[in-house]
Amino acid sequence: MAHGFQKTLPADLGAPPFVEVWKKRAYMVCGVFLVIAAILAILDYAAGQNPWDHVLRAWLLGVMVTFGFSVGGLALLMVQYCSGGKWGLLLRRPLEAMSRTLPLVFLYWIVIALAMPKLYMWANHGLVDRAFRLGQITSWQVEAIDHAINFKRPMLNPTMFVAVSGMCFAIWWLYMWKLNSWAMQREADSPQSTPYWIRKFENWSGPGIVVYSVTMTAAAIYWVMSLDPTWFSTVYGLLFLVGQGYAVLALSIITAISLSKGEPFKTILRQTEQHDLGKLTFAFVMLNIYLAFGQFLIIWSGNLPEEINWYLDRIRGHWGIIITLDFIFHWVIPFTLLLSRDIKRNKKRLTRVCQFMIFAVAFNQFWLIEPNFKDAARNLHFSWGILEYAAVPTAMIAFWVAYFCLQLRRRPLVQVNDPHLKEILEPEHAHA
Amino acid sequence: MPAREGTYGLLAEFDTPGDLVRAARRAHEDGWRRMDCFSPYPIEEVAEAMECTRNRVPLVTLVGGLLGCAAMFSFETWVSVIAYPLNIAGRPTYSWPAFIVPAYEWTILWAGLSAAFGLMALCKFPSLYHPLFNAPNFRKGATVDKFFLCLEALDPRFDLEGTRAYLETMGPLSVVEVPY
Repeated sequence: MAHGFQKTLPADLGAPPFVEVWKKRAYMVCGVFLVIAAILAILDYAAGQNPWDHVLRAWLLGVMVTFGFSVGGLALLMVQYCSGGKWGLLLRRPLEAMSRTLPLVFLYWIVIALAMPKLYMWANHGLVDRAFRLGQITSWQVEAIDHAINFKRPMLNPTMFVAVSGMCFAIWWLYMWKLNSWAMQREADSPQSTPYWIRKFENWSGPGIVVYSVTMTAAAIYWVMSLDPTWFSTVYGLLFLVGQGYAVLALSIITAISLSKGEPFKTILRQTEQHDLGKLTFAFVMLNIYLAFGQFLIIWSGNLPEEINWYLDRIRGHWGIIITLDFIFHWVIPFTLLLSRDIKRNKKRLTRVCQFMIFAVAFNQFWLIEPNFKDAARNLHFSWGILEYAAVPTAMIAFWVAYFCLQLRRRPLVQVNDPHLKEILEPEHAHA
Repeated sequence: MPAREGTYGLLAEFDTPGDLVRAARRAHEDGWRRMDCFSPYPIEEVAEAMECTRNRVPLVTLVGGLLGCAAMFSFETWVSVIAYPLNIAGRPTYSWPAFIVPAYEWTILWAGLSAAFGLMALCKFPSLYHPLFNAPNFRKGATVDKFFLCLEALDPRFDLEGTRAYLETMGPLSVVEVPY
């Protein structure tokens, strides 16, 4: 029988040299889009707007997407330590590389912390006054906002914002540091100690997933939901969490498939695991629409004045076009394409679907973020500034990708000291 | 020697799935089409060897799911808009967000039932008689630990002596003639 046909790993398990090429390309994309962002800012300024407004909003979008890659990667790493499975062995090193980009995300976030008075009404009442002066909100709305800000003052104030976010970063940092350094220690250890390490990783990752959900919820509430202090939704953190899973799986598939053009992924990426990852991504596509629609259905059914305005801000005044497109991009297209077994097993096509999914995540964030600002609520209109949503996050993500490539090059891409390695080296078909 | 009237085919019995896969692959490469394999559990490689990896179950499931969705959604629309146009919290009678959940449930229900019954229909279930059960070693081994390749008499290549000799070259435990 066929178990003698094991493939052997190549001698060099490091990332292939073309990762350097990706890095260079990422720097170039970053540079080009920075120039575009600057031109857009100048055009915005020439049209009589304050260019910083949209640059900072777009920056927040970039923070949320790259933060999703980084901390979402950490979360998926913990999930696979608990769940096991060959897909996990395949992705362990790329996911670790994603988690190690946390310092960059922290730097990105510092800009948001510094720009708090430009973004958050609870940090700067001048934003409310300006919107009222410009006739963007009524005196009734000012009253509602003031009531909400005063009521939530113990939570929504600059000190708490920095303290809670700092604590979240510290916790993620601890997990990132522990999981990454232990992975190397485990690799150096003897195979006999594998059960000890498996238990250790499990015992840290299990509670880690819970801690991650809590800290994620806090971060999503502080950074995005509090842009509109009047609104609240308990599923909000979970929505971001699922969105991270969605984006990270898509990014992982792209990474694994792109890496498989060279060793060592050429040897270890099998169609079976690619198919499994496609199925897992499909599950996240479903879970994402389930939560998003669930939130909408509950708020629509309740039709309460405290809650429904958040949706009306995002549906009326041409925002209906954006939410319809969002539904198509975020769910209809990935869902219908990932239904197909052939697409999930085809490297090129699956990569295309996953690239589109990452775009869809960013598009969804645009729909979440922009209508919080009173000049745009129920009033989708063109300005040069709104195009920053395409330019700034692209530059930020490109720079993030360059940093990610750097991290990928730091370590061998395959974990050797694992009992499951043998299974992943078996040929696709166990028989014949 | 041409097939005798009343012969369904020749059945070769193998001890391991690997032997069956190799045999099926070779027979298919040699041009056999009226053939089938039988094993106690599904072996994907056998299906690949016979190039019958495509089936219409996904299509049946998709159509079933879409029909279920359409049926429930139009039923709800009919109930709320035409049959009982009630004013519920001042909403329009055609309030589609409320219709989604049952429509979704019906999509899943119909897709699931279509997959199950579609599979049975495509496998020609229920089949009360199959000549293979005339072979005693098939009855004993096919659901336990033996792997079978059957070359059917309907295939133009079939020749009672020649095909038996051909099957013997594949290293089977036995080759038996299966009567109707």
